[in-house]
Amino acid sequence: MSIIVAFLQAVLLVAIAPLISGIARNIRAKMHSRKGPSILQDYYDLAKLWKRCEVREGGSGLISRLMPPIYLGSFVLVAAGLPLIMQACPVPYLGDIITILYLMALPRFMFSLASIDSAGSYTAIGGVRELLVGVLVEPSLILVLFVMALAAGSTNVGVMAHAVASLEAYPFVAVVVAGIACAMACYIEMGKLPFDLAEAEQEIQEGPLAAYSGPSLAMLKLGVSVKQLVVASIFVAIFIPFGAAATTAPLDILLGFVLYIVKVLAVFLVAAVIENSVMRVRYKLLGRYTWFVVGIASLSLVFLVIGI
Amino acid sequence: MLELILLSLGLSCVTGVLALVFGKAHAASKTIACVGGMISAALSFAGGVGALFAAPVYASWAGPLPFTNFTLLLNPLAGLLIAVIAALACMAWLYGLSYFDEYYDKGIGVIGFFMNLFIASMNLVILSDNAFWFLVFFELMSLTSYVLVIIDQTEKSLRGGFLYLIMAHIGFLMIACSFFVMATATGSLEFEAFRTTALAPGLGTVAFVLAFFGFGAKAGMVPFHSWLPQAHPAAPSNVSALMSGGMIKIGIFGICKVCFDLLGATGGEVAWGILVIIIGAISSVMGVVYALGEHDLKSLLAYHSVENIGIILLGVGTGIVGWTAGLPWLAAIGLLAGLYHVVNHAMFKGLLFLGAGSVLHATGTRNMEVLGGLARLMPVTAVCFLVGSLAISAIPPLNGFVSEWYTYQGLISAAMSGDILIRIVFAFAVVALAITGALAVTCFVKAFGVTFLARPRSEAAEQAHEVPLCMRVAMVILTLACVALGLCAAWVAPVIELIASSLLHAPLVPVSDGALLVSLDTVSVVSPLIMAVLMAVVIAVCVLVRNAANRKAGMKEDPATWACGYEADLSMETLASTVGAHVKNFMEPIYRIRFCVNRLGQMIASFVGKTLGTRSEAVVTGERPKSASRFDRDRLHGIAPAPQKAPALSESVLALVEDIGVWFGRLEGGDFRTYIVYIVGALVFFLALIILIR
Repeated sequence: MSIIVAFLQAVLLVAIAPLISGIARNIRAKMHSRKGPSILQDYYDLAKLWKRCEVREGGSGLISRLMPPIYLGSFVLVAAGLPLIMQACPVPYLGDIITILYLMALPRFMFSLASIDSAGSYTAIGGVRELLVGVLVEPSLILVLFVMALAAGSTNVGVMAHAVASLEAYPFVAVVVAGIACAMACYIEMGKLPFDLAEAEQEIQEGPLAAYSGPSLAMLKLGVSVKQLVVASIFVAIFIPFGAAATTAPLDILLGFVLYIVKVLAVFLVAAVIENSVMRVRYKLLGRYTWFVVGIASLSLVFLVIGI
Repeated sequence: MLELILLSLGLSCVTGVLALVFGKAHAASKTIACVGGMISAALSFAGGVGALFAAPVYASWAGPLPFTNFTLLLNPLAGLLIAVIAALACMAWLYGLSYFDEYYDKGIGVIGFFMNLFIASMNLVILSDNAFWFLVFFELMSLTSYVLVIIDQTEKSLRGGFLYLIMAHIGFLMIACSFFVMATATGSLEFEAFRTTALAPGLGTVAFVLAFFGFGAKAGMVPFHSWLPQAHPAAPSNVSALMSGGMIKIGIFGICKVCFDLLGATGGEVAWGILVIIIGAISSVMGVVYALGEHDLKSLLAYHSVENIGIILLGVGTGIVGWTAGLPWLAAIGLLAGLYHVVNHAMFKGLLFLGAGSVLHATGTRNMEVLGGLARLMPVTAVCFLVGSLAISAIPPLNGFVSEWYTYQGLISAAMSGDILIRIVFAFAVVALAITGALAVTCFVKAFGVTFLARPRSEAAEQAHEVPLCMRVAMVILTLACVALGLCAAWVAPVIELIASSLLHAPLVPVSDGALLVSLDTVSVVSPLIMAVLMAVVIAVCVLVRNAANRKAGMKEDPATWACGYEADLSMETLASTVGAHVKNFMEPIYRIRFCVNRLGQMIASFVGKTLGTRSEAVVTGERPKSASRFDRDRLHGIAPAPQKAPALSESVLALVEDIGVWFGRLEGGDFRTYIVYIVGALVFFLALIILIR
């Protein structure tokens, strides 16, 4: 049963990722007083790209060619292991926090390599930026997960989710503060304003996409949407597991499924509101914001250590 | 098992001498050294692997003096180290069959002689169970490797070698003092006596700290790391692989042996573990941050050795904390993590150094800025280097991931069971390891991407060619080892746990279950094998779907790079310094530390110089990279290794010793043989001292 759940949620994430990003775009347009694209616009874009002839860059090689499948595939695999619908990991050996973080390093590695492979300076800046965001966000993320591991008594995300859902994660304040830090870290990792704008090709985060076209570009765009959804889902899975299925009874799973969609939509709604009420900062200033996140994460560690 | 290893040692010595005798006949000398070395390595590999599963073998022969009993002990830990070094040595020799062709005019016989002796002395250090012989072989190991470092006879290699020699002896001195402390307490130089006598607690701590810093200097941990990035790149690439992959592990071996084995009866203190953890955390971050600033491929790899030693120390430190706090599971997983990383680092660092050697062989330069585009011209090297890069960046399901996973689990388990201090220290260690991991990814994207991807940026890179068969085979075997140690981790980990439990005298704890790796305290599992299968399936599906769409819609190639409407040229490519400059934005404080340390070193050097009234400052030289403009740009960013910049703290020691060396130079020649005389003299002096005190 849990294998089916794992498979289902992987497929589900891929299926709804364009919808979620479409909704986010629509909300933005509404906040700008524009009519905005249809919430299905991302599906239209992907379908159109899928039918286009692909143009490969002369200088690029196998790495560039392999990157889009690896990028999408890795995030799909992470999605399969998260406790999204259930309060436990559907596949236990994919549910360790260290495994998840290092599995997410593979797409980053390939993404940046492909950006260097394309021999243009513009793409490479995007690739290096992607790496640096990892460097700046990962320490606070791991500190948060460290606190959660100690609070829940396990490094397995499913156990953490269960502990939070049943309010057994101790100490309470430390968990709440860790949740705030995790939300901020995930927000930065999602590549939204004030740090970046992941939906326009000429923005830095998607710089490496400039070298792609046709089905590869479609796959990569899908991969970027899935990545945002996965990052948001990590936060949802650990800190808002309420309502996820505690058993594998079909009704519970259905309820968990519906609630998961609602929770993710809520997260993206909040993200969209934040995104549209701030202005853009240079990514060189990213370090200042991540120090702030590190500060909050350390605060949660302090609360954990003194036990409140 | 011991017989096999002794046979291999004998063979090494004979091969070495034969290589020296036939030194004039270059090809013959090379073939003798390499083939003999390979056979000898194969023998000791068999012996080492056999020792993993056998009971410890103890052998002793009476020496000419009462304290010089030639005692050997082959236990599972020694077996592991011997097997790892032998595996690496075998590949280094195989690689050398082609690679040493370039060294015909640099004394191929000497290389064959010293490299064989170097490998034999490493094995003997591991086997020795008597403080006197341990130190003798330790010294032999330093001296033989020193000769290999300076084999190029360039200014840079001589300087690096000399710094190495100094640091090796500082380490040697501290280790000797540590043994001396134990010897005065027990009245014997036999390790068996150390092992069975309980020292006073304070004395035990003194012995441990001395040994930790002494062996740490050999391992290249911060703050004793400065020799490593100068000495390792200077040696021939397969020797660099052997030094970075094998020799520095002797330092780790020494720390483990002194702590768990020799001080076993004394018992340790939790503070030892915390010291090891803190130094490990600092080493790992500093190592990788400085590696990011390098654009010399081999220096970059050498800095990564500092980083990986840090990661190993995190594992070993967790083991010490578990051992001293009476938590057998924690001790086992910490030690398992550390020893597993020892094996893994030997494989991927050996592989990467051989890869760097191939690049050097094909293009004649190690400067990444003028390379690029090699993946097309050297596909085998590129794939091997890529796998090594992924492994060292701890990307699942390769071997680096497995040992780092165990390290994380050990750190988190320790924090779960510890008090406030332990929790804070281990939180610090976890964060340091996470930063290290993220930076290592950045650094190897840079190393692989800038060297092998995009378009060639110089004539040398354009005319590169794939390396000869022997070199390719050696790299491919190490690549397969990296993959196998990752995928088969569930079957390798219990074997290493066997070593850990024999070292701790503790019962075995479960670390794997079927194809799963298990962490009991943190209730977590992972399976690299199943992950690999899943990844392969998911990615293959993605590739097939995409390619089907491509076939339907067609595909064409456009020779020009799309540069947002501009005409792309080579100056647009990403360089090592591009990545470095970006990182420096965020990591400036750490680079500033190095600058301050360097300035301090310069001040001390000039102070010493003035006091002695001889030379005002150490002569600092370095080869300028071929492309001056890029070099200047690096200097502008302040992240280049900048040879003109002030020497590090340890180099002030170097300056002092140089002055003394000049003074001694009036009496002696100036070549390395003189130094061997000093060492023998020092040894005799210390032995005389010991006898007098007894």
